[in-house]
Order: sequence, then C-alpha cells, then structure tokens
Amino acid sequence: MHTLKASGLSAVRSGRTILHSTSITIEPGDRIGLVGSSGSGKSTLGHALIDDLRLQGVSVANVPQSPDEALDPLRSMAFHWHEAERALGLNRGSSDKAALFAALNIEGGDLRKRPWGWSRGMQQRFVIAMALIGRPALIVLDEPTSALDPVVAAMSMDLLDRHLKGTDTAMILITHDLGLAARRVSKLMVMHDGHLVEEAATEDLLERPSTAPAKALAAHRNWAELPC
Amino acid sequence: MISGLAALILRAIVVLSGTAVITFALLWNAPGDPAQAIAMARFDALLTDEVIDQVREEAGLNQGFWTAFVAWLTPLLSLDFGHSAVTGREVLPDLLSAISFTFPLAFAGLAVGLVISIPLAIIAAKHPGGVIDRMAVAVASLGTAIPAYWLALILILVFTVQLAWLPAMGARTPAHAILPAMTLGFGVAASLTRIIRSGILEARGQPFLPALKRRGVPDKAIGKDHVAPHAAVPVVTVFGLELAFLLEGVVLVEVIFGRPGLGPFLVSAITSRDFPQVQAVVVLTALIFVTVNLAIDVIYRMIDPRIGSSDA
Amino acid sequence: MLSVDGVSVKRGPKLTLEDISLSLSPGKTLAVVGESGAGKSTLIATILGLLPPWKGTVTWCGAPVRACRPALVMQEPRSAFNPVLTLRRSVMEPLVARKTSIDPDRIDRLCSGLELDPTVLDRRPTEVSIGQAQRVGILRALVAAPPLVLFDEPLSALDAVTQKHTAGLIADLQREEGFAAMIVTHDLGYAVAHGDEIAVLRAGRIEEITTPASFAENPRTEYSRTLRDAAISLGALEAAV
Repeated sequence: MHTLKASGLSAVRSGRTILHSTSITIEPGDRIGLVGSSGSGKSTLGHALIDDLRLQGVSVANVPQSPDEALDPLRSMAFHWHEAERALGLNRGSSDKAALFAALNIEGGDLRKRPWGWSRGMQQRFVIAMALIGRPALIVLDEPTSALDPVVAAMSMDLLDRHLKGTDTAMILITHDLGLAARRVSKLMVMHDGHLVEEAATEDLLERPSTAPAKALAAHRNWAELPC
Repeated sequence: MISGLAALILRAIVVLSGTAVITFALLWNAPGDPAQAIAMARFDALLTDEVIDQVREEAGLNQGFWTAFVAWLTPLLSLDFGHSAVTGREVLPDLLSAISFTFPLAFAGLAVGLVISIPLAIIAAKHPGGVIDRMAVAVASLGTAIPAYWLALILILVFTVQLAWLPAMGARTPAHAILPAMTLGFGVAASLTRIIRSGILEARGQPFLPALKRRGVPDKAIGKDHVAPHAAVPVVTVFGLELAFLLEGVVLVEVIFGRPGLGPFLVSAITSRDFPQVQAVVVLTALIFVTVNLAIDVIYRMIDPRIGSSDA
Repeated sequence: MLSVDGVSVKRGPKLTLEDISLSLSPGKTLAVVGESGAGKSTLIATILGLLPPWKGTVTWCGAPVRACRPALVMQEPRSAFNPVLTLRRSVMEPLVARKTSIDPDRIDRLCSGLELDPTVLDRRPTEVSIGQAQRVGILRALVAAPPLVLFDEPLSALDAVTQKHTAGLIADLQREEGFAAMIVTHDLGYAVAHGDEIAVLRAGRIEEITTPASFAENPRTEYSRTLRDAAISLGALEAAV
C-alpha cells in the first residue's frame, strides 16, 4: 500500500459551492478523523474523496451512516455479499468471509434473510464487513455511531479497531462528535463551511486548537468539561 | 400460524364462497319465486307448475336458504352450468368456445401493451422532465381518454378499408386478432406506461443506491437487481388488474370486430334473459378475478416478503 | 410530584414494562437510559397517560397524570410539526384546542430563553435549521406551562456543539419555570451531565436508579457498567482518573 493523494476535491449544489477545493494525503494505516458541525461539508468531502480515489483505481470502501443507506431490503444478505465480491472482481467465495464475520461478531447471522431480519447493530457490522472485503486501502465511515445505541455502537467500533490493527488499511472517521473521533484517531481534520480549516495530530488539536471552529468543537467534545 | 401461501389460498377460497353465497342470496331474494328462478337456471324457460314444484322439493326450497344453496351450488362445482334457457344447449361448451376467442385476444392485447409501455417508460424515466418523458406522459393520458370503439373504428378504417393490410371482421385466422389486439393494447399501454415510469422513478430514489455505486457495482447490475424489482411491485398490481379486465371480454372491441368472445356472449345472454348463461359468466368472472389476485399476491410475496407479513 | 407505582404494561401476551416504580419532583430532572428496545418509548407513552398500565398507577400529586397535562418534546423536530402550518400556528395549536388564552409576552420570553428570533415562528418547519426546529419543539412543549415535561431523545438529531448548547438552554428554562423533567436518552454523557438522577432501563425493568456521580464512577450492576464503559469508549464520558 502506498500513500493516497487526492486533490482539488470540490462540490457544487444548486449553484452554491458546498465544498471548496481541498486536498488530502493519506498514509497507509492512518487513522484520520474528519470532524465538523452539520453542514460543514465533511460528508461531502468524504464522498468526493471516495469517488476521486476510485477513479484513480484505489480500493476504497464506504460505510454509510445507517444500514438503510447501504442495504436493499428486497435482497438477501448473501446476495449483497456476493454482489460486493463481484464488484471487486473477486470470485464467489474467495473473500475471507469466515474471518471477517468472526472479527465483527456476526457469525450467527442467517445470510438467507433480508436485511430487516437482522438487528440494526448486526446490519451495520455486516456493512462494515462487506467494506473490508478485499482489504481496501481505505475505509471511510460516515457517522458510524449515530444510528445505533451506545452499547452496540461501541462494540462495532471496538471490533473494527481490533481488526484493522496491524493492517495497512487506513481509516477515515467522519463525525460531528469530536469526542468520538479523538479516542480513535491520530490525526484530525476540521471542516467548516466547506473549507478545511485546521489539520493536526489529535493531542495537539485538543490542547491547542487554533481556529474558532476547532476551538468550539474541542470545548464541546464531551459533557464533562463545558466552558463557563 | 398458517404459512403465507396457504393463507393466501385460503383467503381466495373464502372470497369465492362469499361470492357464491351473495349470488345465491340475490337469486333467493329476487322478485318472484326462487324456485322458478332456480328451475329456469336448470331447465327450459317454459316450465309447468309441476316442474317448478318438483324443483322446489328437490332443491329443498321448503327447507330454507342453506339447503337450497347447497342444491344450487353442487352442480356448479362440477362445472354443470345447466342448459341455456334460449337454445336449450348445454351452457358449458358455449362458454368454453367463447373463452377460446377471448383469452388469446386478452393475452395478445396485454402483450402489445407491454411491448409499447415498457420501452417507452424506461426511455421516459431516463430523463425525467425531459422531452421524451413529457411526450410519453401526454400520450399515455391521451390513451386513457380515447374510447376503445373510436380507436377500433379508426384502425379498421386505416388498415382494412384504406390499406387492405389486415382483416377486420370475425375471428377466422390469427391475423384477425391483430387489429383488436392493437386496440386493446393501446388502452393497456396508456395506464401501464405511467405506472412503470413512476415505479422506476420511485425505485431510483431508494436511499441505498448511492452506496451500491460507490461499492463498485456496475450501473447495469444496479438497474437489474435493485431498481427493477422495487419498481415491479406497483406494476404487477396494474398488470394483474388489466389482465383480469381483459379476460372478462371487452365487449365493445369484440362486438366491433365481430368476434364471438365472452363479451358478446354475456350481452346476448342478458338481452335474451338467458339466466344460466348469465350465471355462468358471473361465476367465471369471480373465478378469474380471484385467481388473478391470488397470483398477484403470490408474486408480491416472492419479490418482497414484507408485504402482508405482520412483523415487517 | 410524579409518582409511578408498580407499573406494568402489556402488549399482547408480552410485558413491555414490568414493575416500574419511580418518582420525580418539580424542578428535578430524571434521565432514563437504556438500549433500544428496552421500553423507553413505552415508558414515555405510559407516563403521558396515552397507554393505560395493565397494573399500577401513574399519578401527579395524587391525581391521574393526564390531569396535569404533561408535555412532550420529540426526537425528530421536523416530523413533529405539520409541514403545512407555520411554526407559530403549530405552537399555538394546543392552546387553541383547549381554548386557553395566553400572555403574548410569554412566547417572546420563551423565545429569548431559547435564543430564538421570534420571526422564525412565522416560517414553516422545512424552512428553518434543525437546531431551530428542535428549539421550537421545546417552545411548544413549554408554552402552556406544564408542570411535567417529557423529552424523548431531544438532542440526537443535533450535532455535538448544538447538543451541549441546547441542553444548557433546557436546564436554564427548567430553573426559571420549575417544571419536572424526564429525559429519555441513549447518550450517557448527557444523562450524567444534566440528570439529578439516572434510571437504567433494561428489557422493560428498572435495573437501578442512581446518582450521576455514582453511575459514572462506580456503577452498581454489571449492565450499568457495560453502558458506562460503552459511553467512555465513544467519548461521551471522560474515564474517571
């Protein structure tokens, strides 16, 4: 795996620029948090990054915010898995399904069922497992915890972290919750109004945020330390 | 709990039974003597009082509604529709003959409708709001407004009278079915086009499609595996209803083209008060509708098991 | 004061809530936490008086709870309002229905307490930001000055910074108005920061009712510990040093 680079990422919607030209560099094994308030452009940047990297031929995986945005309710889980394998050019059954299922604790799931036959937590972990087929160079998670309750969300994130440890796969975590990102990433990128306003190592940003948006996020990152 | 399929079949049987009871109740409560009505249903129109009394006893009409009902229903279950009050011939063979003209025409009309509507809807849905889309919707609306008999006559005028390409009257050869099939087909295409188009557009709005694209699934596969099945559900409904409608014999079209199908059969039966024939068509209609609806329900469940299941 | 005594609620043959007992005094906040499916929504419906308990009673000051007209703030602000009406009409609706008149200053006062520009009320739900919509939802709940207000995941549709801010506004208003608040949330950080007491709900039963400090530092049951650890793992709570 080598360094991934994407530059000039931008997006326009209804005539307005919602993402201003941004460049990102990602090293193998990086853990990056892409944070910002709603409307800051972080999800847009995530999508633009994925589309750009795919055009470059890089294997990049995408885990949307909720399973409703990732799975077709009319199709079985097995269908989704095989479709994902085919999309990556793999032969049926050659992905390391058993290992991935074990890693994400979904071994018990009945693959013949449609998505709504599984609990939401299991659906989400299935989507993550699908994203990991073929060892992508990068996995992008968009608000991975917002659609789940905390116990399930924490378990999913912990399992993913454990699986990724020791691999080259880089991870980008898109979230409005700096507290969530700070615990899991080594580098933070702060978005505001469609601009990338600050970029720093996690500890540095938490202790010495320099821009106003970063300061606001850092100050509000958890409930215990609120400014007076 | 009864399994899904068994429940559907059970429901179909219940509907048919209900229809039988209601039909018989109408007979029973029709003005005049029910025994006479039933006797007419079974024998000749010219009945002596003795025959009617005999029927009354046989049919157990002095024994009340339900016994009489059973007596009425039993021959029907073995497809014994009795004899025509007018011709004295058995009803069943005439009915079957009428069906043999109507059913193939119905399917041909449906086929014409599909051949027109599916490609048209797909092209229209490619660029919603664009020129072809608006044209397609306009033509479809026009199609529902145009009366079938007007279209039939125009087609006859053009293809038979002016161009002499196609025959119009009668049902002697398969070629005779072309013009009527086209007439029916346009009407079917009108409603199907709009339904297929809106089904496709709605299916395209499903929230998981962008993720599929980002996962690298090719556009063709997305259309075939994820858009089409979702769009199919409303299409199946309309398709089924159109089929049922056509199978009962579209009177105007069959009369204009001089085809001896179910439509003319029913019309002449009604006008000549041929009760056994009318009754036969009523029973057949009920059977067609229930069967087609059952088929629709089964297809639904195959596409999307959530429909009709209580814990979806 | 709200008194829930031995309440059990049935749905078909199943007990969705079993033997729930809790109390809540005016001016105090009870945070109810638990996983999805634990029965939090059923609890809200029961306390609102919408779902009759199979066993037990829900009373406010001795009378059935519906008498005190408890209010509800819902999770998704945009689907909580009729999209056709202006926000002002939606806010006034309950008052109009009860033929209660209202001091016009009150709405302005509440608006300023919620940091809302009153002109926002003349817009429709889809024309305002989600943060604004949620605050209008709170406004609607408070407009008739109910003694008891229920909050069903009031912050989960908002982003992190807005969450903290809105929670502060709710707390300030509670001090001013003096209502009793029951907040159902899966965000343990919020529960610990703003609850006077925390009730842990699991599979329809109350595991424990405890103080925030004790929940954060030393949860009594294994399940509470799992919840707390999950919250720490997600960055919602700081780990105790």
